[in-house]
Amino acid sequence: MKRPNSSIFSNISGLFAIVLMGFPVYWMVSTSFKPKGDILSTNPTLFPRSFSLSNYTEAITKEGFTQALWNSVIVVFFTVLISLFVALFASIAVARMKFKGKRIYVASILLVQMLPLSALLIPLYLLLSRLNLTDKLAGVILTYIAFILPFVVWTLRGFLINIPVELEEAALVDGCTKPQAYRLVLFPLMAPGLVATAIFAFIQAWNEFLLAYILLSSQDKATMPIWLAGFTNRFGTDWGPLMAASTLTAIPVVIFFSLIQDKIATGVTAGAVKG
Amino acid sequence: MSTGLARITSPRRFKPWPYLLIAPSLIALGIILGFPVYKLISLSFERYGLAEIIAGKGTFIGLENYRETLKDPEFWRILRRSLLFTFGMVSVSIVVGGWLAHLMVKMHPGLRRVLNGVLILVWAMPQLVSISVWRWLFSFDFSIVTALINSLGFEMDNHNYFVNTFSGFMIIGGCVAWGALPFITISIYAALTQVPKDLIEAAEIDGANSRQVFRNIILPMLLPVYIILISLSTIWDFQVFSHIWIFLDSRPSAEYYTMAIYAFQKSFGLSEYGMGSAISLIMIFALIGVTGYYLRQMMRMGDE
Repeated sequence: MKRPNSSIFSNISGLFAIVLMGFPVYWMVSTSFKPKGDILSTNPTLFPRSFSLSNYTEAITKEGFTQALWNSVIVVFFTVLISLFVALFASIAVARMKFKGKRIYVASILLVQMLPLSALLIPLYLLLSRLNLTDKLAGVILTYIAFILPFVVWTLRGFLINIPVELEEAALVDGCTKPQAYRLVLFPLMAPGLVATAIFAFIQAWNEFLLAYILLSSQDKATMPIWLAGFTNRFGTDWGPLMAASTLTAIPVVIFFSLIQDKIATGVTAGAVKG
Repeated sequence: MSTGLARITSPRRFKPWPYLLIAPSLIALGIILGFPVYKLISLSFERYGLAEIIAGKGTFIGLENYRETLKDPEFWRILRRSLLFTFGMVSVSIVVGGWLAHLMVKMHPGLRRVLNGVLILVWAMPQLVSISVWRWLFSFDFSIVTALINSLGFEMDNHNYFVNTFSGFMIIGGCVAWGALPFITISIYAALTQVPKDLIEAAEIDGANSRQVFRNIILPMLLPVYIILISLSTIWDFQVFSHIWIFLDSRPSAEYYTMAIYAFQKSFGLSEYGMGSAISLIMIFALIGVTGYYLRQMMRMGDE
């Protein structure tokens, strides 16, 4: 099946793709370590001539960093906790029980995921301002939960379906009640799936920009992405500190993402080929 | 297989449980998504500006918002631009992503691992981070791209790439595609590795060449994955907002308006929320047509 020349061709293309895809990330990190003079130069060097942490100190001491970090942590924490809790219940119903209206529920869960977020900005903003929840982290958390929920339900359902029902049945035969069977048998087996889904929800909430941008107006409510967007003002952009701040914002996501990437990638395609 | 057993064994007496279990999610979705959808529809039939916000109540004007929108030549220009951008983005990212995924199968394992790592790294970049980095790559002052073009002998100092909308959209599109490619490539690659090897071997024994194997075995099996990815990309690319908004310093000129920006400007910029809602609804309907297939596909998976 493999012809030798096609392999050489794919290796060269692969190398090309690595350089092209990787370069922006490399350039971000490399810029972030360059001293100011080397950044503002018409002859940028591929590698930093000297390493400097001044961009990082400038980014961290920039107004609003600690506040934005703290706001993001709060938003992420409550979004993940509540959406996982709510979705866990729903996913058990969808994966393990038969009930009237399940088709409609599943359909609406999938349909909602296709709603273009930018189309809902207007009524969402009006609704939350009526509820006095604009410019409050609670309003952002509430909307994030709703937007993340369908995916979390769907993903948890996928993990649940892969756990054989026979295990719970055995527990039931041994005298467990159904809630006990869930608690003692099902939940421990679900743990890896729950962690993966939690990380996914974390990443979504950490990265989200548009909703936060519309809903939060005061500076002390800014989340990390909004803080990042604030590096550009009418005097221009301070590229060194911005690249340092971008690197700092990306690091937690990169770490968490590498932990779950195999689960998320197969989650999309699971059953699509075999099904 | 296992779900079939669940059907037999789940006893009838647990009837209220499923509804109690899905209730919290239904309430959350109903308030934050259901009500806004309803509100969006009703707003699109109303005049809703600053005066109406203060009064807390719009004035019903029937189809006036739609009529005015569809009459506006600017709307058609923007719709055409959005569709063109979406079509271009989806085809480029699916073709390049698919091609890369198919090459990954034939790559040296070490190289494949590095490429996979790079793709994961790019995939993990928060949207605002990737936009910031791309702005820096193409910034008019001291950017690496300007330096590269200069070194080829062209005089590009202080060239603003966004004055020309074509080069501007190319850069925005490049940034969008860069962010979308990892998901597409890795999904297709994951699906490719799930194609049973014995099926391919059997076809080869029967005398099929690699092109025939690809066309008659691999492609049909990957079709559902491609359809899902095309639908998802369509949804994402059609509503691109943040990229354009940030690249153009939160005040894009009219030549950079896409449907999402247009609706946003009408409502939050000009305080014509009714009009903005009508535009948003037109946007949703445009998407529903394209993605109907995706839903049917997923429904089938939900029934297993």
